[in-house]
Amino acid sequence: MTKQDENKEGIGGMINPRRYGIERVAYLLMRLSGLGLLAYFIGHIYETSSILKGEVGWGEFLELTQTNEGHAVLAIVIAMCVFHTVNGIRVMLGHGGVGVGKPARPDYPYLPASQNARHKIGIYSAIVLAAIAMMYGLAVMYGE
Amino acid sequence: MVSKMRESVIMKIHYGTALAAVALVAVHVLMRLTQSFAESLEYANVIANYQFLPYAGMLEIILILLSIHGFNGLRVILLELKQGRAYEKAVSYGCVAAMIGLIAYGSRTIIMVNMGMV
Repeated sequence: MTKQDENKEGIGGMINPRRYGIERVAYLLMRLSGLGLLAYFIGHIYETSSILKGEVGWGEFLELTQTNEGHAVLAIVIAMCVFHTVNGIRVMLGHGGVGVGKPARPDYPYLPASQNARHKIGIYSAIVLAAIAMMYGLAVMYGE
Repeated sequence: MVSKMRESVIMKIHYGTALAAVALVAVHVLMRLTQSFAESLEYANVIANYQFLPYAGMLEIILILLSIHGFNGLRVILLELKQGRAYEKAVSYGCVAAMIGLIAYGSRTIIMVNMGMV
C-alpha cells in the first residue's frame, strides 16, 4: 500500500494551514504554540536552576535574558501562551458540546454546524488577545 | 500502566491540568508585576520568593501540572504523526520518562533554594 493510498501526508500534511479555513490555522497554531511553550518551559526550568550557583551565576544568566533578543523571545512566549490558553478553552468547550450547534438533517451544501461563527470569533479573539498581551508584555519589560 | 489508561481519561487529565495551570501561572506572572519587572528578578527577591513556603509550594504544583500537560501534548502530536504498537509505546513511555526527569530537576531547584542550600 502506498503512502497516498493510506492518505498519510506526514508532517507536511500536519503543518499545511490551507484548504480548511481558519479552523485549520488554529489547529496548526495550537500545536506550534504548544511545542514552543514546552521548549520555553524546559528552558525556564534550566534557567532558574542557575540560582543554585549563587548571586554571580544568577546575574550572569539573567544578563543573557535582559537583552532586546531576550525580550523579543519573551514577547513571543507571552503571545503563544495567551493564544494557547484562549484557543484551548474554545477547544475544551467544543469538546463539551458548547457552541457546536444542534444535530440536524444533513442537507446540501452540507455546512458543518460545528464550524460556525461562534468558534470562528473564538479563534480570531485568541489571535487578537495574543497580540495585545504581547504588546503589554513588551511595555512591562521595557518599563513603560 | 501508561498504555492501559483510557485516552478519554488522559484527555480529562490534560484539560484539568491546563485549567489549574492557567490559574496558578496567572498568580506566578502577577508576582513579577508587584514590582518593576527587572527589580522582581533581583537575586534577593527571587530567593525570598523561593523561601516563602506557600509560593514554593505553588511553584512545585505548577511544575507538576505543566510537565504533565506539556509532555502529554507532545505525546498527542507525535501519535497524530505516526501510529503503531511499538511506536506508540515508545512515545508514551518516553514522554513519561521526560516528564519525571523535568519534575525531578525542577523540584531539586525549588527544594534546595527553599531549604537555604545556596
